[in-house]
Amino acid sequence: MDTTSIPINWFLMLSTALFVVGVAGVLIKKNAIIILMSIELMLNAANINLVAFSVYNNDASGQVMALVSIGLAAAEVALGLAILLNLNKLRDTVNVDDLSILRW
Amino acid sequence: MVDYTAITPEIVLALFALAVPALGMVMRSSKVLAAFSLVGVALTGLSVWMITDGYSGPVAFQDFVVVEEFSLLFMYIFLAVAFYVILASAVYVKDDKHKPEYYSLILMATVGMLFVASASDLFALFVGIELTSMSSYALVAFKKKDVKSAEAATKYLIIGGLSSGFSLFGISLMYGFTGTTSFSGINDYLSTLGAENIEMVWLAMIMIVVGFGFKISMVPFHMWAPDVYEGAPTPITAMLAAGSKKMGFVAMFKFFLIGLIAIKADWQLLMAVMAVVTMTAGNLIALNQTSMKRMLAYSSIAQAGYILMVIPVATDYALAGGLFQILTHAFMKGGAFIIVATLAVAAVGDKISDYKGLAKRTPFLAIAMTLFMLSLAGIPPLAGFASKFFLFSAPIEAMGGGNDWLMWLAVAGILNSALSLFYYVRVIKYMLVEKGETEEKLKLPMSMMAAVAICLVAVIVMGVYPEPFYQACLDAAKSFFTFLA
Repeated sequence: MDTTSIPINWFLMLSTALFVVGVAGVLIKKNAIIILMSIELMLNAANINLVAFSVYNNDASGQVMALVSIGLAAAEVALGLAILLNLNKLRDTVNVDDLSILRW
Repeated sequence: MVDYTAITPEIVLALFALAVPALGMVMRSSKVLAAFSLVGVALTGLSVWMITDGYSGPVAFQDFVVVEEFSLLFMYIFLAVAFYVILASAVYVKDDKHKPEYYSLILMATVGMLFVASASDLFALFVGIELTSMSSYALVAFKKKDVKSAEAATKYLIIGGLSSGFSLFGISLMYGFTGTTSFSGINDYLSTLGAENIEMVWLAMIMIVVGFGFKISMVPFHMWAPDVYEGAPTPITAMLAAGSKKMGFVAMFKFFLIGLIAIKADWQLLMAVMAVVTMTAGNLIALNQTSMKRMLAYSSIAQAGYILMVIPVATDYALAGGLFQILTHAFMKGGAFIIVATLAVAAVGDKISDYKGLAKRTPFLAIAMTLFMLSLAGIPPLAGFASKFFLFSAPIEAMGGGNDWLMWLAVAGILNSALSLFYYVRVIKYMLVEKGETEEKLKLPMSMMAAVAICLVAVIVMGVYPEPFYQACLDAAKSFFTFLA
C-alpha cells in the first residue's frame, strides 16, 4: 500500500460510525421500512471494511466478498419489501409496535 | 479442469429447485410437485452417497468447500429433514396457489444448508446461511392471508437482517485482522499470535457470536424463535427447528472448534455460561406455555443449550455427543412438529388443551407424540436418552488438568432434563388420561402419517441400537478435528 493513501483507521472509524447508526436505527425506530434501511447501513458498513482491508492487505478477495454481499443485501431488501407490503395489506400498518398478536 | 465432485449434491438439488416452478407451469397437483421434489432430494442423497462410498479423504472445491465425514453426516441429516418436511407438506399446501414456489424454496433452503455443511471458509459459510435464511423468510410468510404468518415473517426478517449485519461486520473485522477468511487460515494466524494482541479478535468474535447466536436461538438472542415458530406454516416450523437451527450449530462448531481453537482459554467460560443460561431459560419459560408450538419452540431453545455444551468442552467425544444429539433432535422435534401440522389439517387447534383425549381420536398419533415427548425428555430406551447420555458424559470425560469445572455443565444438563420432564409429561397426560369433548375419530392424510412414521422409526431405532449411529458421529468428530492439522 502506498504511503500517500488514507490511513486504515479513518475507514474503520467511518464504518464503525455507520454500523452504530444502523444498530441504533434497528433498535429505536418503529417503522419497519426504516428498520430495513438501517439493516442496509449495517451491511454497507461491513462492505466498507471489506474493501478497505482488501486494499490494506493487498488481497483482492475482500472486494469479491463486498460484491457478493451487495448482491445479498439487494436480495434481502427485495424480499423484505415484499413481506412488509403483504403485512401492510393485511394489517394496514408497518409499525413494529403493532405486531403484538404473537406473544408469550 | 475444475473438479466439481465436492459440490455435486448442491448442483443437483439447485437444478431441481429451479425445475419445480417450471414443472408447476404444466402440473398443478401438489402431489406431483411433492413427488418430484422428493425425487430431487433422493437423487441428491445418492450423490452424497457416491462421495461417501469409497471415501478416501477430504474432497475440495476451489478453496472454500471441503467435503469430509463431518460434512457428509450433516448433509444426510439436512436431506432427511427436507425429505420428511416435503412429505408432510404435500397435503398441507394442497389448496394454495403458489405450491411450486413453496417446494422450490424448501429445496433452495436445503441447498444453503448443504453449503454450510461443507464450507471451509467463513464467508462461504455466511453466503450459505443467507441462502437458507432468505428462503425461510419467504416460507414463513407463505400463508399470505394469515395475519400471524405475516407478523412472524416480519419479525423473522428484522431479526434475521440484524443477525446477518452482525455476522458480516464480524467477518469483515476477522478478515482485516487475520488477512484470511478460511477457518484453518484463521487458526494458523491466531496460534502464532501473542496473548496481548487479541482485542480485535474478541471484537470480531463477539459480533459473529451475536450473529450466529440469533440463528441457533441462544439466550439472550432467542426472542424471535417462539413467535416465528408459532406463526409459520407448521411443516416449515419443523424445518426451522430441525434443519435451519442445526445449520447454525454447524457454523458455530466450525467457527469455534476450527477457527478459534487456538485461543480456546479466552472463550471457554463465556460459552459454558451461555450454554447453561440457554438451557435453563428455555426450560423455565416452556413450563407455563399454553400453545403446543410455543412450548416446542422453547424446548428447542433448551435443546440448543444442551448442544452448545459441546463448544466449551471441545473434545472429540463432546462433538460426537453433540452430533448425535443434533441427529436425534432432528427427528424427535421434527416429528413432534409434523404431528402438530397433521392435527391442524384435521382442525385440531394448537393449544395444549386441544389435545385432551387425543388417544381415543387418533391412537397412532397419540402414541407417536408420547414417544417423541419421552424421547425429548431423555427417557430410555428412546433416541433422546442415548444422545443425552453421550453428550452429558463428555464433560465428565474431559475433566482433569484444571478443567474440573466442566462437570457443572453435565450437572446443569441433567437437572434441566428433570425440569423439562414436567412440561413434556403434561402433554402426555392431556392426550392419554384426560377426557376430550369429543371422541370422534379423525381422518388424517396418509402422506403426513408416513412422515411421522419415518421420524418415529428413526427415534426408536437410534434409541435401541445407538452404537452404529454413535460410531458414525464419532468418526465425523475425529475427522473434524484432524481436519485442523
